[in-house]
Amino acid sequence: MSKKVTIHLLSTGIPGLDAILGGGLPEFSFNLISGPPGSGKTTLAHHIMFALATREKPALFFTVLGEPPLKMLRYQQQFSFFDIGKLDSSIRFVNLCDDVATGNLEQVLARMTKEIAAFSPALVFVDSFRTVIQDAQIQSGDVMGLKLFIQQLGTFLSGWQATSFLMGEFLSTNVSLPILTVADGLLSLEQSVCRNSIVRKIQVLKMRGQSTRPGMHTFRITNDGIAVYPVTLVLHDTIGAPGIVDVLRSNKRLAMGVPRLDEMLGGGLPSGYSLLVAGPSGSGKTILATAFLAEGVRQGEPGVIVAFEQTPSQSWVRALDDMVHAGEIGLINTRTPDLSIDEIVQDLTSLIHRFKATRVVIDSLSGFELAVAPTFREDFRESLFRMLAMLSTLGVTVLITSELEDRYIDLRFSPYGAAFLTDAIIVQRYIEVKSSLQRVMAVVKVRASAHSTEIRRYKITQEGIVIGDPVTDYEGILGGQPTRVHTPEPDR
Amino acid sequence: MLREKIRITLEHHAGGAADASVVAEAVTSTWTQMADLLTPVIGTRGVNVILRRSLHLMRMECPWLLTSEEHGDSAALLACLKARLAGRNPGDALRAGHGLLINFTELLATLIGESLTERLLGPVWASPDPFSENEVEP
Repeated sequence: MSKKVTIHLLSTGIPGLDAILGGGLPEFSFNLISGPPGSGKTTLAHHIMFALATREKPALFFTVLGEPPLKMLRYQQQFSFFDIGKLDSSIRFVNLCDDVATGNLEQVLARMTKEIAAFSPALVFVDSFRTVIQDAQIQSGDVMGLKLFIQQLGTFLSGWQATSFLMGEFLSTNVSLPILTVADGLLSLEQSVCRNSIVRKIQVLKMRGQSTRPGMHTFRITNDGIAVYPVTLVLHDTIGAPGIVDVLRSNKRLAMGVPRLDEMLGGGLPSGYSLLVAGPSGSGKTILATAFLAEGVRQGEPGVIVAFEQTPSQSWVRALDDMVHAGEIGLINTRTPDLSIDEIVQDLTSLIHRFKATRVVIDSLSGFELAVAPTFREDFRESLFRMLAMLSTLGVTVLITSELEDRYIDLRFSPYGAAFLTDAIIVQRYIEVKSSLQRVMAVVKVRASAHSTEIRRYKITQEGIVIGDPVTDYEGILGGQPTRVHTPEPDR
Repeated sequence: MLREKIRITLEHHAGGAADASVVAEAVTSTWTQMADLLTPVIGTRGVNVILRRSLHLMRMECPWLLTSEEHGDSAALLACLKARLAGRNPGDALRAGHGLLINFTELLATLIGESLTERLLGPVWASPDPFSENEVEP
């Protein structure tokens, strides 16, 4: 009888990183952190090191020529994770410049093994490794081959019970290929510049023995270090999860907070549904969304709003602000140029959990598209799909507003093809009657439910939206040219 | 804090010395101890550049301290420095050595912060005094 080895996973201490690694870093693994200059390799390594290093499991950080150690120490101290108290006892920096300058890899390896043997670190970092490679190449009479050097180092580090990280630009050079084979894990960092935004991305290209989360995950470097925003993953089986089934089977309907609208929806919005409110500018989408959240607060159903369009002077926005300040609803109001949808989804998810929210408002899709970094706009629709799928697995009821250009010859509900993604649609439009603009509203769809098909006039008053009677005296409203019903047509 | 530690350390090593060569030895050995602690972390180049800058900053106060060893390594520079200190009267040598070591540590502190500097150089102040039985605690 033989017992299988259990690989202990180390928690990296970086938000989101363990999730994309498939649970954490395998202990005693030999990892590469690859990326061009400025992509955040050293910061990632330092963040991991300061999170994991303890007196019992110390870390050794070898600096090579890549970044002058003086500067590295100077700049890395700016991060909150850089705990000076850990230096010496838990973390030691060792400079290899002089050994690498000789170009003799044997000497470099000898120095590294000597330092490792002396300090017995549980974590070893080498920054940056490419410098070692380049210097070795320059030295043509090198007695030790690079491949052999890497293999020996890798074997030594694993045998010495150390989890190790080599940083460098591995993927841009063919020389690195032997390293890629020897390594147990490979993290690739990059930053993509699109228009005036820079977005950082991380990818796990390899992690032996565990299932990693595929995709390019965005990450951000702040004063607190690195935070990874994993690509939203919708698990196949979550739809069958008990909570979701309960929501879908509950047949519960949510009150919208606008008189007569519940009746139009066939008795309120079914719980767990997503509703698209599409309409032109000024048609009252935000007011409807605010009423939806306010009604939730009245009914003891907390809500969360992701707001991209806010003009503080409006009274209903003040109502929204009041609810936010009273802690009745959660607000996400991000204005960074390099925002990713996954970051919003992560913030939204944690806010939903924190508020135990059942109502979610996204106001609006157009603002959302403008708020995300240009590089994500190409995949906006796909990301939107993943976001809605993820929200549906949480069992929340979602109201999304969408700005709609009034095109009377082209009846569309959303510029992103989001209409089919949602379970219900309310459309708002302007019509011209006797040389004045009037607002009308109709329920276009409520999946698997009877609903009103009437087009109703409505007004926006200080109290909010007031829905009137069905427009029965005109037809051809959606075509933009209503004609009065029963009016005798003059002979042509 | 660092200034005070350097003053106490130098006084312990060479306080009241009648011979400037004792002062020169105290200054260079203190610096060598610092360099030994710093080199593994910031490399010989890092240490070398800070020493050269510190010397450069002494040019107004002690122009006689400047050496012609512009491009030599730290060892050659240090030998030259030691000779120049030893050639002055003990008071001048002590003032110059004190100023140089202060420049060196303060420059390091502006680059990597005072707490990291103090942490890295801690053993210099705590190290056994080669000239007396006294030990300077940080």
